[in-house]
Amino acid sequence: MSVFMDLNLSYTADRDALQSLIESAAHLGFSTVAINYVFEPTAKKKQEIPTPTPISELIDQLPIVQGRSRPIRVLNRLTIVMSDSSHFRPNAAEYRSFDLLALQPTTEKLFHAACMLYDVDIICISVTEKLPFFFKRAPVNGAVDRGLVFEVSYSAAIRDSTMRRYTIANAISLMESCKGKSVILSSAAEKALEIRGPYDVTNLGLLFGLSDGDAKEAVSSTCRSVLLHAVSVLRDQEDGQWDHLHHEELQ
Amino acid sequence: MSVDLDQTPRSLLVCDRSSFLDEKNRISSQVEQLHFNYKVSVLLPECSSAPSHLDSVLNSFSSFYLIRKLPIYELLDKHFLETAVYQGSVYGLSYRTRIDEDNCVALMPNGRLCLSLDKDSFQVLGVEGKSSRFNHRTNSRYVVSVDLTDSSMAPGGRGYMRLLTGLRSRLHLKSDFLLSHHPGGGASLQPLLSRYDWSEHRPEISTHAMTHLSCPTLLTSDLQSRDTHSFLEWLGAVDGDISCVNSSSSFLSSFVCPEPKTTLSRALRVSICGLLLPQDVHRLIQEIRSYLEQPRLESWVSLTVHGFADSPVSWGGREHGVLRGGENFYTLLMFHDHTYHLHLATGAHDSCPP
Repeated sequence: MSVFMDLNLSYTADRDALQSLIESAAHLGFSTVAINYVFEPTAKKKQEIPTPTPISELIDQLPIVQGRSRPIRVLNRLTIVMSDSSHFRPNAAEYRSFDLLALQPTTEKLFHAACMLYDVDIICISVTEKLPFFFKRAPVNGAVDRGLVFEVSYSAAIRDSTMRRYTIANAISLMESCKGKSVILSSAAEKALEIRGPYDVTNLGLLFGLSDGDAKEAVSSTCRSVLLHAVSVLRDQEDGQWDHLHHEELQ
Repeated sequence: MSVDLDQTPRSLLVCDRSSFLDEKNRISSQVEQLHFNYKVSVLLPECSSAPSHLDSVLNSFSSFYLIRKLPIYELLDKHFLETAVYQGSVYGLSYRTRIDEDNCVALMPNGRLCLSLDKDSFQVLGVEGKSSRFNHRTNSRYVVSVDLTDSSMAPGGRGYMRLLTGLRSRLHLKSDFLLSHHPGGGASLQPLLSRYDWSEHRPEISTHAMTHLSCPTLLTSDLQSRDTHSFLEWLGAVDGDISCVNSSSSFLSSFVCPEPKTTLSRALRVSICGLLLPQDVHRLIQEIRSYLEQPRLESWVSLTVHGFADSPVSWGGREHGVLRGGENFYTLLMFHDHTYHLHLATGAHDSCPP
């Protein structure tokens, strides 16, 4: 087993809110979190991909993870909500400043392309609406073979009861196609109150159709394999953060 | 599309019923085999203040030491082995390491050193070990267990040198460490302690007097198996200060006291926390037995001993893990006629208690 991780904390411009979000994640026992910048290009006007704020500017002193003696590790992640194939430009230079890259496809064709072709780490499953397409075994297996993972986020389920139905239904239909492997559970929390502890998220995984062991892996070892996949895909990390990944975990 | 929610994580409960006067009772071995005890809580019914003998036994529990950032290869130091490990028993456990997240270390009183490592650490260390019994799908946790008193691990021997070089130069394993020694106390540990940042700690004692506690009637005969679960739940609720009233307006707790029940006008809850030695627990049990010999209003006492949730070993050096909770504890319910009910419980990733 590896340390607990929550790879989706929504970025807000409010520095205090983000700081309290990271602090509550550390207090709950998460050792690694990723700040998620969502990019939703529309056809109307050209938008720029956001650049991540360096972690040292967001929070002065990284809090210690509860029950361990190490501070929490904070990474940067970009999620692109795709409604057209031109929205994702492979090998764009702007992607290099992020540690993790995620896609949220909205049509079946884009889902297939994302699973089989695109160079990303995480594929997000929509939880706020009825699934626009069904999951076919072929692209799902292709994604699992390439080392991609599927992400289900749960904070929408906390906010609203209709979203709760969609989250559970969509998650169960994903589990039927992928048999519980290569899934990560994360919060997509905007406020500190929307994040839950790792063992609670494991229990939530049971509702989604994961087994005990699979649900615990979805918060720990599968997240770790995503990080290792992100490193292995050569995406020049300038700050050399990844050298520390192995050394810290070894101690 | 529905999900099977009938399966809950398993837990194990072993119940044993015997008498202290029976020669074949296994209570001393069962107490001794749980090497690392974190907390002992005692519930004394119809009692408002701790009797003096009980108090003195609690105050005489051994102190323990906390060393910060101890490099684990120091446990193989020749001088430490000769003065502490070979003479008497050393109890050592890594502190603030989680068994399902980090690398954990335990040094058992019989001289066995147990390292529970994740895959990378195990491969870097390069010493023979077994994959954990509780691995799911892939082997992600490995256990290295060596007997430091064995001739192959004598200082200078091949096995010893391999482990020492592994811990010193390949895998720099370092963690905060809790340490205790029996019977010597701290004297034989001093040379090791003096090299690092250390502090001595006394186990923390807390007492809490309660009034009007509803409690299940306990007779020496017949506690049915379904009653055992509800009795243990009630006992845990009392220990955790959780209300068992279950009023319709409160959503916080729906625990209830099992029927048939009575009301105790007073009760005393005493708990002691720290790195507690099984020998001290044994003395406490004997002291409670002599307390029960005198005629009392209520003729029972319950004692619960909790093991560390993040220890790599539980009873008898068997592997311990955490799936949802790492509970490994036993509850001893003692009666005035020297009979007892013993309930040993563990969580999902654990082997059967003795």
